[in-house]
Amino acid sequence: MRRLLPALLFALALPALVLPALAHAASLTALSAGDVPALLKPPAHGERIVAIWALDCAYCEANMQALAKLQRAHPHEIELVTVATDDIAQQRTALAQRLHVAGMDAYPARAYAAATPERLDYLIDPDWGGETPRTLVIRADGTRTGISGALPPETLQKLP
Amino acid sequence: MRKSILALLLCLLPVVATAHDMSGMAMPHEPELGASAAFDAHGRLWVVDAADGHIRVRHSDDFGKTLSPPVIVNPVAERIYDEGENRPKIAFGPKGELYVSWSQPRAKPWTGYVRFSSSMDGGRHFSTPITVQHDLADITHRFDALAVDGHGRVVIACIDKRDQEAAKTKGQPYLGAAVYYSWSDNEGRSFAPDHKLMEHSCECCRIAITRTPSGKVAAFFRAIYGDNIRDHAYAVLRTDGQPAHAERATYSQWHIDGCPHQGPGLAIGANGVRHAVWYEAKDGPAIWYGQLDPGHPAKHKLKIGGPGAGHADVAVHGKTVWVAWNQVDAKGYALMLRRSADDGAHFDPPHAIARSTVAAGSPQLLTRQGRAYVAWDTAAGFRLVPAGTR
Repeated sequence: MRRLLPALLFALALPALVLPALAHAASLTALSAGDVPALLKPPAHGERIVAIWALDCAYCEANMQALAKLQRAHPHEIELVTVATDDIAQQRTALAQRLHVAGMDAYPARAYAAATPERLDYLIDPDWGGETPRTLVIRADGTRTGISGALPPETLQKLP
Repeated sequence: MRKSILALLLCLLPVVATAHDMSGMAMPHEPELGASAAFDAHGRLWVVDAADGHIRVRHSDDFGKTLSPPVIVNPVAERIYDEGENRPKIAFGPKGELYVSWSQPRAKPWTGYVRFSSSMDGGRHFSTPITVQHDLADITHRFDALAVDGHGRVVIACIDKRDQEAAKTKGQPYLGAAVYYSWSDNEGRSFAPDHKLMEHSCECCRIAITRTPSGKVAAFFRAIYGDNIRDHAYAVLRTDGQPAHAERATYSQWHIDGCPHQGPGLAIGANGVRHAVWYEAKDGPAIWYGQLDPGHPAKHKLKIGGPGAGHADVAVHGKTVWVAWNQVDAKGYALMLRRSADDGAHFDPPHAIARSTVAAGSPQLLTRQGRAYVAWDTAAGFRLVPAGTR
C-alpha cells in the first residue's frame, strides 16, 4: 500500500492535469488494414492530405503543422488527416499528447492498430519504405503523390 | 467500505496505467521484436531481448529450436528501447565473456542512456548495469552498437545529440545528431571518455559495427552530407588515442529532412573486402549491396530489393556472401536471401527462406562454421532460419 499510495495520489491528481488538455483533442482512432481503402479513396473534390508521422521522428510535428497551415489557407480544397505509425494500444496517450502540443486537435487523427505495421505501410503506399514524415496527397481525380521528408515551402505551395 | 475502496481503485486503474505511460514506464506487454542473436566461440546460440523492463539472455544448443530459460541481466526494471532498429546487443570476449548493451529511454522524447552489463561465468550471472556514456544530460545517447576488438576491448558506438543541443543553446542550426564511441580496456568495468567520431549523423538509424581482419572495430552508419543528403560513412573506431576519421562511403544522394528508420549492414571478409547493404529512396525505396571503398562510391553495386524490401543484413565467410532482408507485401512478410559464391561479384536470384503472417523484426545474418543462419524474431516467436547451401 505504501508503494501504491503515491501512484494513487498521482492518479487522483492526474485527470486535473491532463484531462483539460485532452478534452479538446480530436479522438485518436485506430487504423487497420481494413480501413486503408477508405483512407485512400479519392475525395469528392479537392484533395486529401495524409500526414504520416511517428513518435520517434523529430521532423514530423513541424511537417504536420506546415500542412495544417496550408489546410487553413485552403479549407475547401484540402482535407487533412494525420496517421501515426506507432501502435495505438501502447502509445495512445503519448500520441494524443504530442498531437495536442503540436496544435493538431482540429484534425482527424489515426494511429496504427496493426499486428503487422510494415504490411500496413505497404498497403498505404507500396512506394514508401517507412521513412517519416511521409505525406500522401490523394486527389479527387484519383491521382496520388507520396513524398518522404519534411516538405520545404516550395513543395508545400504546389500541393493545393 | 473495503468494497468501495476496491471499486475506487478499479476505477482508477486505467488512469494509473495512463500515468505510467505518461511518466514513461512501459506497461507489461508482449516482448517487442528487437532481439539480437550471436553464436559464441563454441557454436552456442545466444539471444538477447527485453521483456517488461528487463534485459533477458537465453541460449540454444539446437539452432534455436529450444531456448533456455531466460537469465535476467538487470534485476531492477528500467525502460528499454527494444523496437525496430534500436534493440539490445550481445557480443563475446576472447575468454568467453558475455557482453550486453542496450539503450534506456529517458523521460523526454528521443532521449537515452547507453547501458552495459557483462557476465564472466558463461551467462549465469550478470554485473550490475552501468551507464556507458560519460555525458549524463537527458538527451539522445542511444542506438548503441557493440563489438569486441582483437585485444578484447569492448567498443560501443552510439548516436549522441550533445553537439546539436550545444548549437541549439547558441541559436545555431544543426543538422541531425552525431556519432560518439567509447571503449573499455577492463572487460567493461569502466569505459574511456566519450570520443566524437562524426558530427551530423542520422538521428534514428542503427549503426552497423564489425571487426576488421586486423582486429580493429569498424562502423558504417547513415550520416548527413550537405543539406540533408542521407548517405553513409565508414570509420575504423581507433582505440590508440589517435582520432578516428569517418569517410563517406555511399553516394546515393538521397535528400530527406526526416527519419529513414533504416540503418545499414556491414560484414568484412578475411581478405578485407567490406561488404555492405543500405537503404535509400531517392527514386523509390531500394536496398543496395556494395563493397565499400571509403572516400569513393561503393564497388559492385547491386540493387537487392525495391518496394516492400527493408532492413537488410549481410554476412561473409571466405568467398561466400549472403544478403538477407524482409520483403513485405499485402499478404505479410517474406524473409529473402541472396547468395554470392564469388565474393560479391555476382549473386544468385533472390528466394524466400521463410514467411510470416505476423510481424517480423529486422533479420540478422549469423555465420557458424562456414554456414549462414538468419535470426528472425517474429511475433510468433524467435526463429533461426538456415540460409541454405545452394
